[in-house]
Amino acid sequence: MKFTFAPEARPLDGYTIKRAVHRGGFGEVYYALSDAGKEVALKLLNNNLEIELRGVRQCLNLKHPNLVTIFDIKQDGDNDHWVIMEFVSGRGLYEVLRDYPNGMPLEEVLFWLGGITAGLSFLHDRGIVHRDLKPANVFQDPGGVKIGDVGLSKYISESRRSAQTQSVGTVYYMAPEVAKGRYGREVDVYAMGIMLYEMITGKVPFDGQTTAEILMKHLTAEPDLSCLPAEMRPVLAAALEKDPDQRTGSIEELQRQFRNVVQTADMAAPVPLAKSAHAAAPTAGKRAAHVQTPESATVVDVDIQSANPAPTGIAAVVGLWNAIPTPLQWVIGGAGALLILESGMLRSVAVGGMIGGAAYLGYKILSIFGGEPFRTKSTPHQAAPIRPAAAPPRGQRPASPAAETRVPSDPIPARRYARNTRDRNYTPATLRKISKTHRATDMTTSITVSLAASALVTTAVFLTTDLLIDSAQAVYFAAITMLASWALIIPSKIWEGRRGDSFTRRLCLGTLGLGVGFLAAVLPEYLLISHDVPFHGGFNGGPVLVGRVAVADGTGFPTVACFMIFFAALFSARRWWWQVDSFRKARFRVSSALFTLVIGVVIAAVLQKFSFPEALGATWALAISAVVQLSAGWTPAEDRRLAPAPAPDKTPDRSVNPPAHMAKAEQASFN
Amino acid sequence: MNSGTLQLDSQRRQNRWYCDTCVPAQGVTLKALEGEMVATSPCKKYMLWIDGVGAWQLCVGESFIVGAPSFEKKSADIALLANISRIHASIKRNSEEWRLTAHQPTTVSGRTVEQDTVLRSGDEIRLAERVRLGFRIPSILSTSAVIDFESDHRPSHSVDGIILLADHCLLGPRRDHHIRCTHWPDVVVLFLNEGKLRCRSKAALSVDGQVAADSIELKHGCVVTGEELRFRVEQME
Repeated sequence: MKFTFAPEARPLDGYTIKRAVHRGGFGEVYYALSDAGKEVALKLLNNNLEIELRGVRQCLNLKHPNLVTIFDIKQDGDNDHWVIMEFVSGRGLYEVLRDYPNGMPLEEVLFWLGGITAGLSFLHDRGIVHRDLKPANVFQDPGGVKIGDVGLSKYISESRRSAQTQSVGTVYYMAPEVAKGRYGREVDVYAMGIMLYEMITGKVPFDGQTTAEILMKHLTAEPDLSCLPAEMRPVLAAALEKDPDQRTGSIEELQRQFRNVVQTADMAAPVPLAKSAHAAAPTAGKRAAHVQTPESATVVDVDIQSANPAPTGIAAVVGLWNAIPTPLQWVIGGAGALLILESGMLRSVAVGGMIGGAAYLGYKILSIFGGEPFRTKSTPHQAAPIRPAAAPPRGQRPASPAAETRVPSDPIPARRYARNTRDRNYTPATLRKISKTHRATDMTTSITVSLAASALVTTAVFLTTDLLIDSAQAVYFAAITMLASWALIIPSKIWEGRRGDSFTRRLCLGTLGLGVGFLAAVLPEYLLISHDVPFHGGFNGGPVLVGRVAVADGTGFPTVACFMIFFAALFSARRWWWQVDSFRKARFRVSSALFTLVIGVVIAAVLQKFSFPEALGATWALAISAVVQLSAGWTPAEDRRLAPAPAPDKTPDRSVNPPAHMAKAEQASFN
Repeated sequence: MNSGTLQLDSQRRQNRWYCDTCVPAQGVTLKALEGEMVATSPCKKYMLWIDGVGAWQLCVGESFIVGAPSFEKKSADIALLANISRIHASIKRNSEEWRLTAHQPTTVSGRTVEQDTVLRSGDEIRLAERVRLGFRIPSILSTSAVIDFESDHRPSHSVDGIILLADHCLLGPRRDHHIRCTHWPDVVVLFLNEGKLRCRSKAALSVDGQVAADSIELKHGCVVTGEELRFRVEQME
C-alpha cells in the first residue's frame, strides 16, 4: 500500500505526519502529531473533492460523543485540502466483525447499535444524512462508539432529497433508492439494517461477484432472513424494505424494535447494561456489555437459577444420577451391568425395558397428537424484572459517579458469563464447520484408539463373566466389538456438526448393522472358533422362515439372519452419533452405556425366541457402547469453540491456518 | 524571567499533584527503588510507526520496568498514564522464561503476586485496581513477548502494543507474528546483533532509499520501505 506522504513529512504547518492510517475512497488518512504533541488524524482529500468539502463544512461544528470530531479544514502549499480530525485509537467495526465470522454475541450487537443510533439520530435531527454508513466507518474508542467519515454526509431537506447525480457510498450497504439518486435518512436506516444483519449472522444479506450483481440484489432480491432468530425477522425485514416509504421510519425506531425483541425473547443474557455515552468504553477485543440508550436506560438481570423449574419425574432421577460423582457412577454402573448379566436378571430387565419402551412410544404419540400436553412448559431465561437505572437524561452527564456505578464497572464477569452461557449450549446437535483435516484426524484417531478400547473391554468381560471360554473366543468378541465400533464411529464422525435427520441416520446405521451381524455370524466358521457355549440360544424351537430367510433353523444356534437382525436393531435403536460426537456431555457416560445395555437386553430377549444368545447380545451392546465412547474424540466443554466458517466474500485470511511451508521458511530465515 | 518562573512553578505543581496520587512504595522507599531499578535497567526503546498498521513500542533489554511516567527522572520503560506507582512492577527475562516482580499490588491471571512469578502466554497482568495488560508470546519460534492494553490505560501517545524483544520480532500477516500486518505479503524480522537493531526479510527492502541486501542496521529515524510496506524506526529517550 503506497501513500503520498512519508513519515516526518509536514504538509501542514504545525503538524508532523508519523504514519499513514489507511486509504479510503475519498482520500488518505494519516496519524500526525501537532508541535505540542496533540494526536490528530489528517485526511487528504483527493477525489470527490466537491462532495467531500461541502459535506465536511456542514459538519465542522457538530459536537457529539458518538461522532468523530472535525477540528478544521486547511490547504497545504500545493492547494490540496486537508481535514484535521480527532484521532480514534480503537478498532473499527469491520475489524471486530472479522473476529466473529458466524455473528457477534447479542450484547455486543446492542453495544454497537446503541452508539451508532445515538450518533446517527443526532445527525438526522440536524437534517444530515450520513450516506456512507458501513463497518469501516464505525469505530470503538475509550469514549464509546464513534462514527467517522461524517464528511460524506449531505445536507438535506425535504426539497433536496433527490436530484443528486453522483452516487457515493459502499455498495454492500447501499439502499436501493440510491440508484435513483434519492438520499433520505432512510438510506442510513437501510445501511444500519444491513450492518445489523451482518453483526448477527457474520455475512451481508446481498453479496455477489460484481458491483452490478450486488446492486441488482439490493433492488430486486429479498434478503434471506431464515438465518436470523424468528423474532428478529420482522424487525430486519422492515429495516431492509426496498421502498423507503415502507421502511422503518427512523434509526431510533429500529433500535427500539430491536431492543424490544431482544428483551422480550430474552435472547441476550445478560441483556445490555446501560451506560452513559461518556463512560469509558471497553477496549479492543475485550469489552463489557455496556449499551447506550438514548431514551432511557435499563438494567436487566437474568437469574438463570431461579428461572429453571424444579426437576420432576425422569428429570429428577437424571438429576440425582448426575449428582453422583463420576467414579461412583462407574462403580455403580459396573456393578449394575454385572448384576444384569450374571444373576439371571436378563429376563426381568428385558420385560422392564419393553414396558418402558412401550410407555415412551405412547408418550411420544400422545405428544404428537395432543400438542405437547405432557411436557412441562420450559421457561429458561425467564424475562427478568427490569429495573430502571436512574440514568440521566440523554446528553447529560450523570450527576455523580455513583449514578454510573449502578452498572457493574468490571466488564470481565459479564463477558465470562456470556461465554459460559454459550459454551453450555454446545451439544452434538450444534451445527458447526469442521475442516476436512480435523474430521479425518479425529476419525483415524478414534479408530486407532478403538483397538485398545476393544481389547480393554474384552479383557474386562473375559475376567468378570463366564461368557467367553477361551482366548480365541475373546479375540472373536473383541474383533466384532471393534468392527461394530468402527461402523458406528466412521459415519457418526462424518455427520458430526452437520444437519441430518434422525430417521435417515438410524437407517444408515441399521444397514451397517446388517453387515456387522453378517460378519459376526460367519467369522467363527472362518476362524474355526468353537462357539458352542456363548452362541447357544437355549431355545430349541422349530425353524422359522420369513420368506426365504431362515431366522431360526431349530438347532438351538442363531442363524446368520438372526445376527444381522440383532445388530441392525441395536444400531438403529440408539442415537449413536450422540455417543460419538466431540460435543457429547462427557467422554464416558455410564448412564449411556447402561441404557444401551438395557436396549441390548430387550432386543436379545425378543430374538431369544429364534435361539439368539441373550447374554452374548446384552454383553455386546454394553461393550460396543463402552468402546465407542472411550475411543471417539471428545472436546471438554470449556474448549468448545465454533470454528469460523469461510467467508466467501472476503479475501482468504492467511493468518487463520498458517501454512506449514511459511513456518519453515521463517525458521530458515532465522538460521 | 517571569514567564519562565511561572512555567517552572506550574511544572512543579503538576509534579506534586502527580506524586501525591501515586501509590507509595511498600517497605522500600520509592527513591531507593528508583535508583536501583534505573541502574539495573539499561533498556533501549524504539517506536515503530507502521503505515496502515499502527504504532508499536519495541523494548530491548533484559529487564523492563512497568509504571507511571516520571516528570523528573527517567520514566518507566513501559510508562502508562495510570494511577500506579512509578515503579509498579518489573518484567525480567531469564533465558526462555519471563518473570514478573511486583513492587506494588499486582495480580497475574487473578493470582496475587507476592514477590515474583513466571509469566505465561495468555496471562492478564493487573496493576493496582484498574490497569489490565495482556501478556502473550505469539510465536513458538521466538521468546519475544507482546504486551497488549486490555484496559484503556495507555502511554501518553497512542500505542497499539509493546514488544519485549528477546531474540526476534516478527512483523507479518499472521496471528502468530508479534505485530500483525495483515496486508503485508512477507514477514519482516527485527533482531539484535551486537547490540544493534537490524532487520531482514525475504521481500526486497530498502532503508532510507538504500537497498538492503541481507540484513541491515536500523538507526534512529530510518524509514524501511518495501513493495507493500513502510515503517519508521525512532529511538526513544
